[in-house]
Amino acid sequence: MKNSIEVTNLKYRYHDGTEALRGVSFALAPGECVALLGPNGSGKSTLLLHLNGLLPEKHSANGAVRIHGEPVTTEKLAAIRRQVGLLFQDPDDQLFCPTVAEDVAFGPRQFGISENEIAARVQKTLAQVGLAGFDHRATHHLSHGEKRRVCLAGVLACEPAVLVLDEPTSDLDPRGRREFKALLREIPATKLIATHDLEMAVELCPRAIVLDHGQIVADGRTMQLLGDEALMLAHGLEKPHILWHHHPH
Amino acid sequence: MITNLVGHHHSHAESPVHRLAAELKLGVALVVILGTVLMPATATNWFGAVGGLLVLTIILSRLPVLFLLKRLAVLSPFVLGVALVNAFQPATGAAWWSVALKSAVCLVTVILVSNTTPFGKILRVLQRLRVPGLLITTIALMHRYLFVLADESERMRRARASRTFVPARRFHWHTLATVLGQLFVRASERAERIYDAMCARGWK
Repeated sequence: MKNSIEVTNLKYRYHDGTEALRGVSFALAPGECVALLGPNGSGKSTLLLHLNGLLPEKHSANGAVRIHGEPVTTEKLAAIRRQVGLLFQDPDDQLFCPTVAEDVAFGPRQFGISENEIAARVQKTLAQVGLAGFDHRATHHLSHGEKRRVCLAGVLACEPAVLVLDEPTSDLDPRGRREFKALLREIPATKLIATHDLEMAVELCPRAIVLDHGQIVADGRTMQLLGDEALMLAHGLEKPHILWHHHPH
Repeated sequence: MITNLVGHHHSHAESPVHRLAAELKLGVALVVILGTVLMPATATNWFGAVGGLLVLTIILSRLPVLFLLKRLAVLSPFVLGVALVNAFQPATGAAWWSVALKSAVCLVTVILVSNTTPFGKILRVLQRLRVPGLLITTIALMHRYLFVLADESERMRRARASRTFVPARRFHWHTLATVLGQLFVRASERAERIYDAMCARGWK
């Protein structure tokens, strides 16, 4: 079976000369849920933008990123974006429509689906994220947790096979975080989650990739990597609290 | 504070005027504004009729009068600036009243429509009138991010205030310029992120 995401020797340099990615390679099998860890500025967000074809500015035919075996090229961008759902870090960037229903409908509408089908998808995904009945609410009047869930609904409405999330639990209160994690667990898509929430990584992701200075410094079982205190401290992370105590249960 | 100035606080309230179709309200507003602009200031019949209509609408819409006056005060300087220029020219001294009257009528009309009609409905009417999609998207985005930008400038103002230890003796142009510059940079960076987010969901 083809890998959901395959990245081979991916390099990227910003216009100001900052080398954000220096030869990143990894692959995600269908259905995997992987945590992408690393300190601020390690290149996590830059990497995620590549998976959706938002970077680089010009795509070459033999690109470093393949989604379900297909290289990300300019001609295939629409198809790639339909397969890969990207949840941005700041919900305000992602909620650009005046009402919740319109925002959730934005993606499906771009793909040319019938209006009836769009309405059905909006209802289904809003119910899925626990916001049934929020259709006509103004997006700028929602709480942060609600905004985040509407963003997720907007991505899920496109029915992506791969879900890429950029710090989905940052700025959420404990309840919001718990609910969001439960939501993510229910979604069968292949998931790559960039996060500083190490406890979430332990709970949701059997595998983790550690990125630092634009390079992968570790790739393996989350429990093992996060338990390695020397590795964690060397790359701006820490051994999460839940791994300090070995409860009998 | 700024959010207060830009928000349509009463657009979701309940009243006979709120229940009217958005098309009708926009149509009447257009007629009132066009007529007011084109009529000579001496057309007392027209101004009497329009004044009566506006007063009736205000009563029926149950909008607080104080709120309307405040809104008018916020919007007036832009128009009254022009009127003021007229006031100082001896030849057009009389035109001052005419400009002030006409601008007040137009502004009250716009304030009434925007505060009795949810913004989304106005956009849908424009859509049905076949206003180009790109223009509607631009207006919708502008409306959406006005609030985000207002919140952002409010947060910056607070952050600045928390580190301002000496009460200002005079208005700080330098600080204002810095804030405006920062807002501009942030807004343009956000615009890029929004565009990315739109592309990520298939925007072409």
